[in-house]
This record gives sequence, structure tokens and C-alpha cells, in this order.
Amino acid sequence: MSEIMSAVENVPSLTETNELVAKTDDTGTKYLTFKVGGELFGAEINNISEIIEYSDMTRVPFTPPHIRGVSNLRGNVVPIIDLAIRLGKKPGQPTKRTCIIIVEMEDAGEKMDIGFVVDEVDEVLDIHEDDIEPAPQFGADIDSAYINGMGKLNGKFVILLLLEQVLSISELSQLISDYDLLQS
Amino acid sequence: MSSPEETFLLECGELLTSMEDALLQMESSPADSDSINSIFRAAHTIKGTGGVFGFDDVESFTHVVENVLDKVRDNEIDVDSQLIAILLSCRDHIEILVNKAVAGEDINDDDKDIDTDLRSGLNKYLDVPEAVENNLEVAEEKHTVEFESSGSMVISDNWHISLRFDKDVLQNGMDPLSFMRYLKNLGEIVHVTTLYDDFPKLEDFDPELCYLGFEIDFSSEADKEQIEQVFEFVRDMCVLHILPPRAHIAHYSEVIQSLPEDDMRIGEILIASGVLTKRELDEALNKQEKSFQAENENVTPIGEVLVEEKVVHEEVVNAALNKQNTNKIIKSTEQTVLRVDADKLDSLINLVGELVISGATTNMLVNKSGDEQLIESMSSMSRLVEEIRDNALNLRMVQIGETFNRFKRVVRDVSKELGKDIKLNINGADAELDKTVVEKIGDPLMHLIRNSMDHGIESSADRVASGKDIQGNVWLNAYHDSGSIVIEVADDGRGLNRDKILTKAHEKGLISDGQVLTDHEVYRLIFEAGFSTAETVTNLSGRGVGMDVVRRNIEALRGSVDVDSKENEGTTISIRLPLTLAIIDGFLVRVGDSSYVIPLDMVNECIELEEGEQAEPGMHGYINLRDEVLPYLRLRNYFDEPASTTGLESIVVVKYGTNTAGFVVDELLGELQTVIKPMGKILQNVKGISGATILGSGNVAIILDVPNLIVRATQAETSHVINKASDENVLLH
Amino acid sequence: MIKVKKKRTGLCEVELDGELTIYEATDLKNELFKKMEKCKGVTINLSNVSEIDTSCFQILILAKRECDEGGIEFTMNSHSPAVLDVIETFNMGSFFGDPIVL
Repeated sequence: MSEIMSAVENVPSLTETNELVAKTDDTGTKYLTFKVGGELFGAEINNISEIIEYSDMTRVPFTPPHIRGVSNLRGNVVPIIDLAIRLGKKPGQPTKRTCIIIVEMEDAGEKMDIGFVVDEVDEVLDIHEDDIEPAPQFGADIDSAYINGMGKLNGKFVILLLLEQVLSISELSQLISDYDLLQS
Repeated sequence: MSSPEETFLLECGELLTSMEDALLQMESSPADSDSINSIFRAAHTIKGTGGVFGFDDVESFTHVVENVLDKVRDNEIDVDSQLIAILLSCRDHIEILVNKAVAGEDINDDDKDIDTDLRSGLNKYLDVPEAVENNLEVAEEKHTVEFESSGSMVISDNWHISLRFDKDVLQNGMDPLSFMRYLKNLGEIVHVTTLYDDFPKLEDFDPELCYLGFEIDFSSEADKEQIEQVFEFVRDMCVLHILPPRAHIAHYSEVIQSLPEDDMRIGEILIASGVLTKRELDEALNKQEKSFQAENENVTPIGEVLVEEKVVHEEVVNAALNKQNTNKIIKSTEQTVLRVDADKLDSLINLVGELVISGATTNMLVNKSGDEQLIESMSSMSRLVEEIRDNALNLRMVQIGETFNRFKRVVRDVSKELGKDIKLNINGADAELDKTVVEKIGDPLMHLIRNSMDHGIESSADRVASGKDIQGNVWLNAYHDSGSIVIEVADDGRGLNRDKILTKAHEKGLISDGQVLTDHEVYRLIFEAGFSTAETVTNLSGRGVGMDVVRRNIEALRGSVDVDSKENEGTTISIRLPLTLAIIDGFLVRVGDSSYVIPLDMVNECIELEEGEQAEPGMHGYINLRDEVLPYLRLRNYFDEPASTTGLESIVVVKYGTNTAGFVVDELLGELQTVIKPMGKILQNVKGISGATILGSGNVAIILDVPNLIVRATQAETSHVINKASDENVLLH
Repeated sequence: MIKVKKKRTGLCEVELDGELTIYEATDLKNELFKKMEKCKGVTINLSNVSEIDTSCFQILILAKRECDEGGIEFTMNSHSPAVLDVIETFNMGSFFGDPIVL
């Protein structure tokens, strides 16, 4: 338990590191890495506003499985996406390490918060541009449109997600409408 | 809002609206003097304030309009449709001029052409009767001179204007200089005394405040109203006295008394500037003393004094007093209306929303504590919170009438364009609903009305042929019904053609061959995407933007739209909208592990089912409710909620429009007030849920959209039955 | 906005220029009265005033009044058209008592 809490408590420092990005440009961009469906992924931290502990959320009827539900984030109702299902992987049971990452997305000038569930938050690290390979056409097991690039990390590759695409508001709402039509 | 130009723009908008209303009114009853007066006032005020701001285009154009209106007012020009048409165009042109002037844009060549055309059109009305008018005026003037000089009057032939500006006038963007300059347009300023008596000590002198006062002698043919209009825009930022030429000395004495400066000082100024002679001043001050003594007794109103002294006829006084009274009424309504920034209102309502939520939490905790005193005090506080909530929401409520009135012009113009004679009938203009809803309902209504006029109402020839009155009718009705507002757009046209709709629906693949539909179901097809039956595409409607857009817009406001039609009798489109988008009273139920909110105004009754009364298992069915068949929907199955408890179920009977249905739930949790939290773009299109709310516990509960839920369930069942039927077919073959 | 040309034998010659509106009023008052302190006489050159509104005109009235009370000579000269217009509109020519070149 203490382990997760430290991961969670580390979160406020994200904003500080966020500021560091601008100053330490040559060391690369800051990425947050996290595990989903047993695999390691990364995402640029400047989209990420906070990480919260996983808690039960309210299901929304008539929505596809990748919509996990809605949660109360300081008085606002925020939709929570199951990232595993969204990426076409098997959803995992929530554990002590399960977290929700909150990102701020923009659509047609309107900002809104979206959360997504990950199995475990790993760390914040710098990945230099030279260490990022373009996304492969196939073989990565997920839609290449969702991939920003492949980050080299200790000789291994980490899929760096393009959150704007993975959590695209227009795409998500389209998916819901389609699902709705299919149902009725 | 803050800058005077913006206020000017806002006021012009209002004036132009009232001008348009009055013009349309005058078109139907040309002799209506209220209408012409209100048109004149609007034009006059716009001219005046436009002049103050130095908007020359506005001022000079409106001046010509005003001249024509003046003659209409004096019955020198007959009101006909041609005149109304040109005045309506003038009104539109003024709107353009005002907008451009405020935006600081120059008028373009098109505007100039319109300007020239309209001016020449207006001038036709002005040319001939000019001479006659002048004679009349002179004669009248002589008459009054003779009449008034019999009393104790001041000899001066000039108006006297006494003006004290409020200190903050400069900070409000007004400069006394502009008013003085503008006054010159109306006549000659014979003499000005600028008073600086009010100047404080050097240290206390605030350079941004105005300390000046003015005593002005003014020679002009204008009437008092016109002079007052010059100061229209600073009316509540100054103390203004206007004394007519040869005014009664008593009037002067009143003014002298009311001014802040020393009486003798004012008196001297008046003598110095030649307004009063020394003798007149003495008389005025004497009178003042007398009236001062008389103040403890009953003071006879000045009007009566004048009548007693046979200075003026009683009718004249009465007329003047009446006028004063109406002025007072107008003034008092002006003062009771306060413009508030919409953002401020929204943030207040948000806060009230938070208050309601936090109140609900506290209430829950208090009830848990079991402390009687605390519970009692909490319940009285809850009542207050409820009242505050209602009041706050009321602030945003506006009458639908203003939106409706906009369509008078539309109907007039469009019927001319179409060559049809169509009358717009408005009912229930005083029904109130949330401002945000009002703002968003305008476009859908516009579309529906144009549709009715274009496709609904037949051509005059067709109407005569089918034995109808040649004049077609379009109705706009609004009324409240079970917590919603219903807006109807109806016409007495040809009605919807069932066969045409069916053919079209087949073409578009909206329905399959064997499908049997009721009339109502057929009519509802017009709301489907890409549906338009108009054979000819006119420039008004039928340009691809169809009724489906109307439906979507309405649904985005948590409303619904329905249609009813009778062949050859007409069509009625009814829009049902929630009164407010912010807060609702709800009924909380538990379904499986989750809580759901049902809007309270949809709930007919809640029944805890006894052991023997339990509904059959399964998603839906029906039960016997007091010998009536009540179809029900088991929400737990419907929402795929896990079956948690096997306790007794309850049923919530909901009513929507003409439908009644039961929702089988696991537990009734009671009423609550809830603030509707938007679900955001991703989830807003899910049918059957209308939003979310945060409960006292901090959990989110989904608010059910009852009508859509029922529609959804009905559709699901029909397709289920159809599927089942086709399955059976397969089996049979 | 405000320039002090010379100071000799306690005579303060002030030149005002540009737009004198309510936005400048506070500065104008503060500056002008600071410059006028301990002066035996004040002359204000108004030739380059392109615009003057009521607020700034009031300051001129105030300056004149203060000087009159303190027995200091206060004159204005080279009135620009903008200044003349205001003086005329408010009929304050005789108050200031300056010779005006039209």
C-alpha cells in the first residue's frame, strides 16, 4: 500500500517537473510511463494534470465497455476510460496499484478533463528525441494512429501514446453514438 | 456593458425592436397614435444620443426619418403600406449605421446607396406640406403668447436650463462639453454661466470627478421634450431643470430653491445672464419664502395654484399632469430594471448549485446524528436554501414573448415574398423559461415557422379552391405543462401528406417494405435525417437543413419535439422543453449497486410492492395497477446492473405526456434537489440519460431522461418482436 | 503632456501639449501643482493642446482659483483652437481674463 501511495504522492511534483521541461529542453521531453495489460506505455506529461487513486465509479448505462464510468473530480463529473479496452487489450481487475490518470483534452476550443485507468504508474523520465523511433506500420499490436513513437529505454522499446488520438473527444463520442445505434 | 458606446448599442437595439413592433402594429391599425408616438420616440432618442456620441451618419439619417414621422404624427402624411415598408427599411438601415458607428467602421458603398435611396424616398413625403405646417406653428405660438402674458411671467423669451452633473459623470464616459455642443444644434445658446462653486479644496479635488454646474439661456423653437432629449443619455447622471420661455416666476423660485448653491448666488447669476429682472427675482424669492412657510400646512400643488390664479385652463394642467404621471410610471419601471452581467449571474447560479449540494450533504449528516434541535434548525435552513435556489433560478427566467415578437417581422416579410397572406397569432407570450433556453430556441423556431409558411400554408388560389379563408394562419403558442414548457408552431395549411412521406421514407431507406405505421409514426419520420418532401426547393426552407436539425437542437436542450397533422386542416409541431437547465428536483432510486435520479415532475407515484405483488422477472412486462394495465421496465436488467439484493422491489410510476409506465427498481431512496452537472461532450449524446449529479456522499448519480428512455425501450421491444417474428418465419420455412 | 520651460525669478512657465483628457487628469493635476509650488507667477502655454475635456479644463479653473487665493499671478496664453472652443462653450473667458487671440 505504502508503495502506491508514494507513487500517488509523487504526483504534485509533476507540475514542477513540467516547468523543468522548458528549461532543460536539450535533455529531452518528460514522459510518464505506466503499465496497461502487462505492457509498458509512455505519454508526454504536459497533457497530464494529475493522478488519482482508483476508486469505484458510477457506471453509465448504454455505453460501450471502454467507458468505465464517471467520477467526481472536485465537483465535476469526469468520464473515465478503460485504457486497456480502448487499446484492444484485456481489461484487468483493479488492484492496489490501479490508478486513474487525469488529462486535459481540448475539442473545438472547449477544454474538458478525461480520466483513464492504468494498472500501475511507473515513473517520470526524460526521453531524448534521438531515442524516439517512428511508429511501425504494424506489429505494435495497437492502431498505429495512437502511437506517437517508440521510445528507447534501457535497450527496450516503450510505446509512446498519442493521447490526443487515444482520448480524442470526437472519436470517443462517435464510438458511443455508434454503439447506441447498434443497441437500438 | 461598461462602455457608454455598448450601452448605447444595447439601448438602440431595444429602441429599434420597439420601433419595429410599433410599425407592424401601425400596419394593422394605422390610426393608432400610441404606435406612431413610440416610433417617433425611438427615432428621436437614437438621433439624439447618436448626436451626443458624434455619430454623424446615424444622426443625419435618423433626422430625416424623424421629420417624416413628425408629419405622420401630425396627420399630414397618411399611413399606408408603402410608408410602413420604407420605414421598416429605414429601421434596418439605422441598425446598420448604429452598429458600424459603434464598431468604428465606415459605411460602405452599398450602405451609401441604401442611404441615398431611402433619403429620396423619405423626402417625397417631406416636400409639399412644409409651408402649411409653418403657418400653423406661428399661429399657435401667437396664441400662447397672448394667453400666458396675462399672468405673472418672466419677460425673457429664452428657455432656461439649469444643469448640475453628478460627480461621477466623467468616469462614466460622459463629458458635459458634448451635451453643450449638441444643444447648439437645437438652437442658440444665448448665455452660459459655468458654476465651479462646488470645487473642493486643492487636496480634496479629484481630477476625475465633475464639479461643474451650468445655468444656460437658450433660444430655440424646440419643445421641452426635444430639449430634454438632448440630456436623455445623462438623465440619471444629472439634475436637470428646464424652464420654458416666459415661465411663471414660481417655477423659477422652485428651481432656485432646489439647487445646491446659495439662493442669492443663483439669483444673481440669473439676473446677470438676463433671465430674470431684479424685480422678478425679488418676487420669486418672496414666493419661495411664503411657500416655505406654507410647507408645514398643506401645500397646494403648483398646478392648482395656476388654475386658481386663472393663469392656465384646467384641461391644460390636467394634460400636463397626465403626461407627468406617465413619465413617472416609465421612469419608475426604468429604475426597477437593473442590468446585470450574464457572467455574474451564471457564477451566482453555480455557487447556489454548490450550496444545494453541500446542503444535501449536511442534511444527510444531520439526520444521521439524530440530534432533534440540529435537525430542526437544519430543516429551516434547507427551506431557505431552497428559496434561494428558486430565486436565483428565477433571475435567469425571461418571457418567451420577446423571442416570439421577432417573428412578426419574419412572417410579414416572408408572406410578401411568397405572395401569400399569412397572419401570425401569438398566445402565451408571458410564459417564462430559462434565458439560455430562450437564446437557443430562436433558430429552431425560425425554421419551423418558415417551414409552415413555405410548405404548410397553401397558395391563395389553393386555399380558395379548398373552401378556406384566403388568409392563412400561423400560431405560436406557449404554455406550461407538468414541469416543462411547451411551444407550438401550428398552421391551418394543407397538413402533412402521409403517402408522400411514406414514398420518400422508402426511397431513403428509412422504413422497410412490410412495416405498418400509424399516422403519427409516419409524421414523425419528417424528423429523420435527410428528409425533405418539398418538391421545389425555395430560397426560404428546404435547403437541405431539415427537421432533423431542428430535432437535434431541441434534444440538445433536453427537450423533445412532436408533430400532429390533419390532412387539409393543418400541422402542429410541439416542442417540449425543460424550464431550466441548471437544477431539478429528483427522486433517487437504487438499481443494483448504483443510484439513479428520476426527475420528480415525471414521477406520478412510487409503490413499494408487497410480497404477492412482485412483478414477473425479466426486462419488461406489465402489472395490474388499480385495474389499469401498467407496462414496466426492470431497470436492473435494462441497465445491465448486477443483481445484488433479492429483497422486495418497488415501482416508480412515471408519466410523460400521454404515456404512463413503471420503472421497477430495487429501492426507493427519496426526493432530493440536484444540480445537473453536464456529462461533457463524450457522453452527452447517450439517449435515455440527461446528465449527472453529485450526491451528498460524493458519488455521481446518473439522471434519467424518462421520455427518451421510454422511446428507447419501446424501440428495443418492437425490434425484439420483429426479430422474434422473423426468427419464427425462418423456422416455419 | 507637461513641460516646464524656464524658471527665473520665481516665474514658472508651463507648456501643456497633446491630448488632455480624463486619462491624463490625475497626472496633470499632480504635475501642474508640483511645478507651481513656490512660484510667484504662472504662465501656461496652451498652443499645442490638441484636445481638452471637462476634467482637464476643471484643473485649469482650479489652478486659476488657487493662484488667485494665494495672490499669485496666473495667465494662460497661445490658446489652441481646442482650448478656445471649451472656453467659449463654457463661457469662461472672463473668468480667466486672459487676452485671447482669435
